[in-house]
Amino acid sequence: MTGAADGEAESGAESDAPELRIPRGTLLRSRVVSDVATTLSRALDRGLTGYATLVPQETLLLEGDARGVLTFADGVPVLAYNTVSDRGGPDALAELAVPGPYRVELYAVDDDGLAAAHETDALRVAPGAAATELADDPALADRTREAAPDERLADPEADDADAVAAFLADDDRIEAIREQARAEAAERADEWGLDEALADDGGGDADRRPGR
Amino acid sequence: MVEAFAVASGKGGTGKTTSTLALGMALADEHDVTVVDADTGMANLLFHAGLDDAAVTLHDLLVEGTATDVSAATYDRFGLSVVPCGTSLAGFEAAEPGRLRDVVAELASDTDVLLLDSPAALGSKSAVLPVVLADRVVVVVEPTIPALSDGLKVQEYARSYGTETAGVLFNKVRDDAADVAEQAERHFGGPVLASVPDSDVVREARRAGEPLLAHAPESDAAARYRRAAARLDVRDGDGDAVADRFRSAVVPDTP
Repeated sequence: MTGAADGEAESGAESDAPELRIPRGTLLRSRVVSDVATTLSRALDRGLTGYATLVPQETLLLEGDARGVLTFADGVPVLAYNTVSDRGGPDALAELAVPGPYRVELYAVDDDGLAAAHETDALRVAPGAAATELADDPALADRTREAAPDERLADPEADDADAVAAFLADDDRIEAIREQARAEAAERADEWGLDEALADDGGGDADRRPGR
Repeated sequence: MVEAFAVASGKGGTGKTTSTLALGMALADEHDVTVVDADTGMANLLFHAGLDDAAVTLHDLLVEGTATDVSAATYDRFGLSVVPCGTSLAGFEAAEPGRLRDVVAELASDTDVLLLDSPAALGSKSAVLPVVLADRVVVVVEPTIPALSDGLKVQEYARSYGTETAGVLFNKVRDDAADVAEQAERHFGGPVLASVPDSDVVREARRAGEPLLAHAPESDAAARYRRAAARLDVRDGDGDAVADRFRSAVVPDTP
């Protein structure tokens, strides 16, 4: 995230792209976490107004890194932004939803410091979406929704399924997951002595199975 | 006639066991169905099927040197033949995963449809074995990115072993995720079998130790599982040939 180190996170070089400008705030924690639930839960429990920067340590086979900013109002996630792709909202959440660990920094910002940024509809995410998609923690998602103000829950612009839809529309990402799984399956088959059970073409031809 | 399905997901908590028993009961209207808890490290089918106190389980069949008959671990419940697995660590440690092949072969010779409730992981030989042995895989996912990622991964592992996708079952679906299933279908090698809603009735069935289709046969969730089973389109096969295939499958006996 280029901006945070300089005092603010900013983005949106293109004129019509949404922009995220937030004050640097006070660093509360800097950690490598295996599970983002730790961070989200901490922010929720202390009713944090501020933001987290998230840098996934695994970037699959995709080019470029994802570096995310997730803002909070009273502990509930509001905006998501990927400073590498310059995408925001559910698209950013989808890009950040990779297996951990993540390097995470958590910052507190004065109450009104984020008010202007939080008006940016295009970057907004549903209250429970980060817990569901980044942390895979349905109980934390429920807890977050319970803590969210009613108007956030009723926001028609922020649907829990939006990030999933963005993920499913990203064919390159899905192909990368599949390629990685195929490579891993072949490697492990060798390790487990199952390599002779592998289909010759790596899939699709059931007649190739041993014994047939 | 026999076809073996692995019911798999790659991550825990998606409702594999609920789905295995629900699909099994729905298929039992037309077929002889045998359900096996192939999740030998984290078994839970026995709790869902009211078999908590089963004296003999799959664990006993997987221990070398024991002459336990497969029929001793097979229980008639809810119109199904159910082979539960024990939950003790000692039982898991003594079990030899490679022997699952022989157990499945024996069961295959005497049933129409075999459903293997598979482990929620891909990190060990015993975890992938059901997917290696099955004819096709039913991938159970929740409409979330982590679950879909893991579901895609299971599908690729299965394909690597020549096991194609019979279909995808969306489980624990909330109202706002209804369109996701449709969008996901093109990434999977089989149709979306059903979208089963997130509902209290499923949790109640689990608490009661009954499969969903026995506990709440009139529920919306039960109706959707029946529809999913109808879409599975079980293939005719020669039971003896399938049994032979399992027996000759190249699975080393030692991990």
